[in-house]
Amino acid sequence: MAAEDLPSQFDVVILGTGLTESVIAAACSRVGQSVLHLDRRNYYAGNWASFTFNGLLSWIEEYKNQQELQITESEQEWRSLIEDGEEAVPLNSVDSSISNLEVFCYASEEEEQEEETKDLLTCPNAETVSEETNSDSTETQDTVTSDDVTESNVKVQNEENEDSAPKEQLHASDISEHSQSVEEKQPNRSPADPPAELQKKITYQKLLKEGRRFNIDLVSKLMYSRGALVDLLIKSNVSRYAEFKNIGRILTCRNGKVEQVPCSRADVFASKQLTVVEKRMLMKFLTFCLDFEQHPEEYQDYSEKPFSEFLKNKKLTENLQDFVLLSIAMVTQQTLTEEGLKATQHFLRCLGRYGNTPFLFPLYGLGEIPQCFCRMCAVFGGIYCLRHSVQCLVVDKESNKVKAVIDTRGQKIGCSHFVVEDSYIREEQRESIDYRQISRAVLITDRSVLPSESDQQISLVTVPPVESSGPAVRMVELCSSSMTCMPGTCLVHLTCSSSGTAQQDLAPVVSQLFHIPTTPGEDPSEGTGEISKPAVLWVMYFNMRDTSAMDSSCYSLPSNVHVCTGPDAGLGSDYSIKLAESVFHCLLPDEEFCPPAPNPEDIIYDGDAPQAEGRGFDESNDTEANKSQAEEEGTTNETNPENSEAAEMDSVAQETTLDTNPPSEE
Amino acid sequence: MAGGSVSECKEYLFKVLVIGELGVGKTSIIKRYVHQLFSQHYRATIGVDFALKVLNWDSKTLVRLQLWDIAGQERFGNMTRVYYKEAVGAFIVFDITRGSTFEAVSKWKHDLDTKVKLANGNPIPSVLLANKCDQKKDGSNNSSLMDNFCKEAGFLGWFETSAKENINVDEAARFLVENILLNDKGLPYEENNGDKIKLDHQTALAESKSGCC
Repeated sequence: MAAEDLPSQFDVVILGTGLTESVIAAACSRVGQSVLHLDRRNYYAGNWASFTFNGLLSWIEEYKNQQELQITESEQEWRSLIEDGEEAVPLNSVDSSISNLEVFCYASEEEEQEEETKDLLTCPNAETVSEETNSDSTETQDTVTSDDVTESNVKVQNEENEDSAPKEQLHASDISEHSQSVEEKQPNRSPADPPAELQKKITYQKLLKEGRRFNIDLVSKLMYSRGALVDLLIKSNVSRYAEFKNIGRILTCRNGKVEQVPCSRADVFASKQLTVVEKRMLMKFLTFCLDFEQHPEEYQDYSEKPFSEFLKNKKLTENLQDFVLLSIAMVTQQTLTEEGLKATQHFLRCLGRYGNTPFLFPLYGLGEIPQCFCRMCAVFGGIYCLRHSVQCLVVDKESNKVKAVIDTRGQKIGCSHFVVEDSYIREEQRESIDYRQISRAVLITDRSVLPSESDQQISLVTVPPVESSGPAVRMVELCSSSMTCMPGTCLVHLTCSSSGTAQQDLAPVVSQLFHIPTTPGEDPSEGTGEISKPAVLWVMYFNMRDTSAMDSSCYSLPSNVHVCTGPDAGLGSDYSIKLAESVFHCLLPDEEFCPPAPNPEDIIYDGDAPQAEGRGFDESNDTEANKSQAEEEGTTNETNPENSEAAEMDSVAQETTLDTNPPSEE
Repeated sequence: MAGGSVSECKEYLFKVLVIGELGVGKTSIIKRYVHQLFSQHYRATIGVDFALKVLNWDSKTLVRLQLWDIAGQERFGNMTRVYYKEAVGAFIVFDITRGSTFEAVSKWKHDLDTKVKLANGNPIPSVLLANKCDQKKDGSNNSSLMDNFCKEAGFLGWFETSAKENINVDEAARFLVENILLNDKGLPYEENNGDKIKLDHQTALAESKSGCC
């Protein structure tokens, strides 16, 4: 854990640990490139990160502090490292990709009364092992844990009894103003309340105490079961680091009512909302979409017209038009017919691979995925440093290529390629600073928007625009078995392309679908007939910059600098994966992108077989396949930057991959 | 992480972490334990996450032990969550001939305890290994000091080991597995997440062809 000097030369230096950068890191390391992978933050995955509840509070605090921070720069230190014929291109030291952050807490502030009994009740149902996430990563490695810090330091805006109704609070403009003025309040409720009632209620204290059960993603996406990300995870064997859950149902909200969207054959036939005629119409239409290219005559006339018009022409009822447009194709009124058909087809093709809907979600949150790729990179020799950034690029004037970087510790590190996440690029290096934004809301609620027999379902909810001009909102409701929230709560993510601030875009949807208590910890029965709606315990709004429309022409940077844009607003991650693949091919045109890594589980050593000694080295046992494996490993070694220290990093790997005769398991 | 029982034989899969400073001999311990080998000429760990050892614990128990080494990068202490996730035990290793590696033990232990916990919120069982005991210069005995240290730092116990001379490596592993098994029996085994999905080549090949329509 000690701070040591890094090797002075790498093939590739990568700055930022978001999904795209992490995939590139794994891909480069896998084919034998020496990789240095850095992030200025003290947690993995950048804007793709997920946090425990306490970790998220630290992240909010950090955002707040950054808003107040005066940036002072000391360029002198690295100036001396720039030689003749070299030019320095400084990078951004502050991340400004998050804005308009607002937090409101509606959970009761009262002290937990029944902790002991509650613990006994919840423990046996918990998973075998759970862990702190990147949360503690928002703390320094050697200081107190996040729990200690956040509970005492973080002030969360709290709804107050006396003067402020929630609606007024919702117009708050900046978290920093508010959290300074609104201190945590003493509990309003008498602790003498009956214990039975406390059992049911989730207090703010409880959220903090069970904070490690939350894994709250900054980005909300699902994985298409035949999308680029799933295919890559399988192809590369990175999938072995993660487990997934199928999205159980797709819901939509029409006329203020939440209902299930029938999308599979079984759903359509089981649907109670559809008439027999509608069922037949929908099946016929979906069957057509599955191989629509075979029937160009059906849609040719609409190639220049929107998909919505095509649906109308197909004589689908309004009901069905909405289902197909908003919940299956998930496109807008303006999307052209062919694109709509393609989206519908993709959806249908993804059905049934792993379950009844086309989508998967990683256990412990989407933030797992970039880390899986980082681990793969590390296993193949990549070096990782968090809380460690690059101050400036050293560009060779003659070739106009980056030849080195100067890190935040003032070390000059040579590299052939530099890959960097967009938010590290300064405005001077940009052709345009006109960004799109994504609006996000994260809610902790007390139950599902559509309770059913199983309370352990993940639901995708498509919400049509509340006003015709507003954006369509995508909502993902996660249950506790997805390992993203504590039992007894749901974690709800809302996402849309921004037209205003996140709060302006999303608060109307939140009040449409959820009950917002007028006082913290308000009993649902005291509410105003909104008992059927889930209550919001805690909500956060923020905007995230969407740089996905940018390409290399948007930056004035040397040709061996490759910029990775951040997460896009879409539901899948295909955009980020394809970008990673294209950057990789730019770097290494002749190499394979993420070939499968050997699986260590395939090699088994029998504990009771001393004769196994030496077997791993017996070349005569080797098959051709394993020999080429060995050769590949050999070349990897030569390019590995650590040599003197290699004594430590011995190779369990080598021998295991060489051993071709794993003794039987009996 | 416990497996189900197959015809009275209970099979367990345990993920065990091996952590500690650079050069303390983590990899040689793993290698000695798993391969019965010790080599002075090492190359860097490349390409494999963990080493697997299968133990016929008793007539009714089979233990598959995954020993997760720190990959090259992680000497900077920036392990991914993937590394810690679902671990049920740990060895923290230091080098008896280098005091600084012992000083770092508490840091590693703290890091471990904040990043992974058992379901009941307790830290995962961990054992301290004083490696390279074959190179011990004096005959001094710090046994009681070490016992106290372990008690305070929350280790189950400690062993003087030598991967080179094959001293106490098996014993330490046996001790840790015993404790993991105790924990496992103490916790009701409940598969509350039976619908977890693993993505791999097999499911990709064997996937259902049943589309929507």
